[in-house]
Amino acid sequence: MVGASGTTSDTHVIDELRAVVGQTGLICDPNQMRIYECDGFTVAKGMPTAVVFPTDTDQVSRCVKILARHGVAIIPRGSGTGLAGGCVAFGSGVLVSTTRMSRIESIDLANRVAVVQAGVRNTALSDAIATSGLHFSPDPSSQRASTIGGNAATNAGGINTLKHGVTTNHILGVEMVMPDGSILQTRAKGLCDGIGADLAALICGSEGTLGIITRLWCRLTPKPRYFRTFYAVFESTHDCCKTVSDVVASGIVPTSMEVMDGQMIRVVEDAFHYGFPTDAQSLLLLEIDGIDQVLDEQMRAIIAIAEGNRARNIKQCSDPVRRAELWSARKRAFGAIGRISHSYCTQDACVPRSKLPEVMETVARIGKKYDLRIPNVFHAGDGNIHPILLFDEADPEQVQRILLASKEILEYCIEIGGALTGEHGVGVEKLHLMPKMFNAATLRLFLDVKKTFDPHQLVNDAKLIPSDKLNIELLKPSSMNIPGGAL
Amino acid sequence: MLTATPAIQTRTPDELAAAVRQSRETATPLVDYGVAHRGVGNPPPESHTPLKQCASARGGVIEHYDRDMAIRVASAITVADLHAALRPTGQFVPIDADPDLTLGEIINHNVYGALRVGYGSIRDLLLGLRFIDGNGDDIHVGGRTVKNVAGFDMTRLLVGALGELGVVYEATLRTYAIPEQIIVVDVQLDDPTRIDNRLTDLLLASAAPTAMSIANLTGKWMVRMGYFGKPAGCLAQLRSLETFLDTIPGARIAGHGPMTLDGELDEIHARRSWRRTASSLVKLVVPPAATGKVCWELAETMTGVSIHVAAYPVHGCIFAGGDLNAHETERLGRLADELCVLHHGLRVWYNRPAGAEHLAPFAPPQDDWSLMAKLKQTIDPRWILNPGRLLTPPTEAYPR
Repeated sequence: MVGASGTTSDTHVIDELRAVVGQTGLICDPNQMRIYECDGFTVAKGMPTAVVFPTDTDQVSRCVKILARHGVAIIPRGSGTGLAGGCVAFGSGVLVSTTRMSRIESIDLANRVAVVQAGVRNTALSDAIATSGLHFSPDPSSQRASTIGGNAATNAGGINTLKHGVTTNHILGVEMVMPDGSILQTRAKGLCDGIGADLAALICGSEGTLGIITRLWCRLTPKPRYFRTFYAVFESTHDCCKTVSDVVASGIVPTSMEVMDGQMIRVVEDAFHYGFPTDAQSLLLLEIDGIDQVLDEQMRAIIAIAEGNRARNIKQCSDPVRRAELWSARKRAFGAIGRISHSYCTQDACVPRSKLPEVMETVARIGKKYDLRIPNVFHAGDGNIHPILLFDEADPEQVQRILLASKEILEYCIEIGGALTGEHGVGVEKLHLMPKMFNAATLRLFLDVKKTFDPHQLVNDAKLIPSDKLNIELLKPSSMNIPGGAL
Repeated sequence: MLTATPAIQTRTPDELAAAVRQSRETATPLVDYGVAHRGVGNPPPESHTPLKQCASARGGVIEHYDRDMAIRVASAITVADLHAALRPTGQFVPIDADPDLTLGEIINHNVYGALRVGYGSIRDLLLGLRFIDGNGDDIHVGGRTVKNVAGFDMTRLLVGALGELGVVYEATLRTYAIPEQIIVVDVQLDDPTRIDNRLTDLLLASAAPTAMSIANLTGKWMVRMGYFGKPAGCLAQLRSLETFLDTIPGARIAGHGPMTLDGELDEIHARRSWRRTASSLVKLVVPPAATGKVCWELAETMTGVSIHVAAYPVHGCIFAGGDLNAHETERLGRLADELCVLHHGLRVWYNRPAGAEHLAPFAPPQDDWSLMAKLKQTIDPRWILNPGRLLTPPTEAYPR
């Protein structure tokens, strides 16, 4: 079976790839490849020519050499939980999936470092060292499914990153297959320092545009042992966000501060019955960790701030079962959206935390302007907002409205000193807004850096950096399946 | 003999960009090795122009986002001025470096110290950078938000790049609240190797410190722990430490007491002051669990020579040196290299005395240097920014 494009040269390439990964290590039947048409950004779809599943670095290297020799576009992919269309083959190209590279190669507890293949799932590593007291700290909501290679490629965040940092803070070194098939190791000994520029940091968050991450040296850190968790509800999102802002300004660094607005509370409550008051307009779920002896004092200070902002129904808990329930509610929030809308588009901007109250008011205003429902559940402590724009995928007019509203929200966030994306990445989704965020010289430098790694621009090309190669016109009518409809 | 032309002093980004463009046109390298890192890497080309940036108005603070716990500063600001500017606001940037170092020098050399245990290094504190690349272009990356994954992370790329990829002129950093209480504890150890396999246990215990270093500066091995936070927490941690030390033979608390932040920073500075004056100074990075062993070897193997050793064991970073002559420095270098091979570490010379300049500044060669050189070619096509300090130009354009 020949892939989506079905040409003779495709057949040659596929035969060569099969010789490397075996019969079961490649699929090219469009029916089988349907789930590889998109990632979590379902607005943008593209059928690959084939998907290969190498099991080690050598196979990745050999596959990349074949694809490079034939000039075939190469798209790295983890488990496909990305939210910006970054691991999708637009036009054509072969997806190189790392999901079968799932070996934890070594765990060194004395030096607090683990060496893993890129396809190891995020939680698999922490599960493997569960009894040690250490863990791999980055905790994106997708952590049960997402791979550590994917987390690194997108520099994933999560709920606990407010205190404990994002993925790049926990990656000591990487091995990457370069676009010519050669293998780069940078800071690959698991040391806590290196000589010269920090290439591992550059590779983290590069969204697979510089090569394919195949192995990582992960920093293991002590798993917090003592917690206090509380939630409070508010009559307005403004008061809730003001509480977040005031806590930040007080100098307290909670582990996490997560906010759900009224729409989201009701969705979650309807779905899972956690006992949240459904008449509330906003809910703050906050956790602190640290030295047991000071947590109560710290929590009292936080509660005083919340009360000063008219919080009600303040509930504290140190019971591990209730705590797990509360966090389960937060982590399942996105899943619950499916009960009220077939399709949704989650935005991801990061704003100065002092501006959260007005940001949320602006998001609500934009929602009204475009007649859209926009529930919010987000990492408020980081200033990382996630407006969830609900729409019907079958209605092109609605798709246009969510894209216009998204653009307006993101442009506003950039204008007030925020970032275009806090943790999801640029992918193809936010390409058109990159010139709003960066000056021309910086964008030119990004492209030059890309070309340094990938002179023939074969690996995940035209993602992350705006160019004229892909006609990304998200707002073009009838562009529902593919951004711009011309990819 | 270096034939440096008079230094260029720039006050604004525009002046800096103009200086870079001028240097590019005249193929005259611009050199800034900092004040404490002059000995790091290959020496500057014979003919070069020293570059100095002046902190701009407001003492180098451009904007303090006090409610966002972030500050935007000129890279020419010194650590002392940064602390002084923030002190009245109850905030600080937990940079652990000599007070006269500029932020730019800290970024270029990835300077960190004992506080890295609790607060991370400059790599973790940086939110955004503005720099001039080798073309004279003004590059803005990152920003003031605590998360930002838009575009390539050039911010962290430049940390430790020795000023070869750009001239940083501005940075945005996280700030933290000045802790209510700091308790410092000095622990005397008979043998530094005893901590190697207990570091993870220490970090997992309630006795996990915010700051930690080990040194033999007084002829005895002393571990300095710092506990930062609420008084009740610091006290609880001190009690946990006492219990923890019962499990380490030959370890005892030699003294402890409260300290102000300024006092602790001053002491940190005092304890590292020997590194500025030592004729020979080498830095090794090894797996953390080998720190004590390497410290012991460095101090005990160099018979007949007084060697100071100071380390940050949680991160496996060790400095060793003293007032050594060229021959003694060569011996230290051989030992450092042997230890690096044994423990899969790396080493960098910070100071080498006359007669020992031939010692390779960095070892062992790293796999990623060739790619770094390609990046240098991209970002600084004429190789005018600290050329040849680490990365070898395509042709030896600049005699040394």
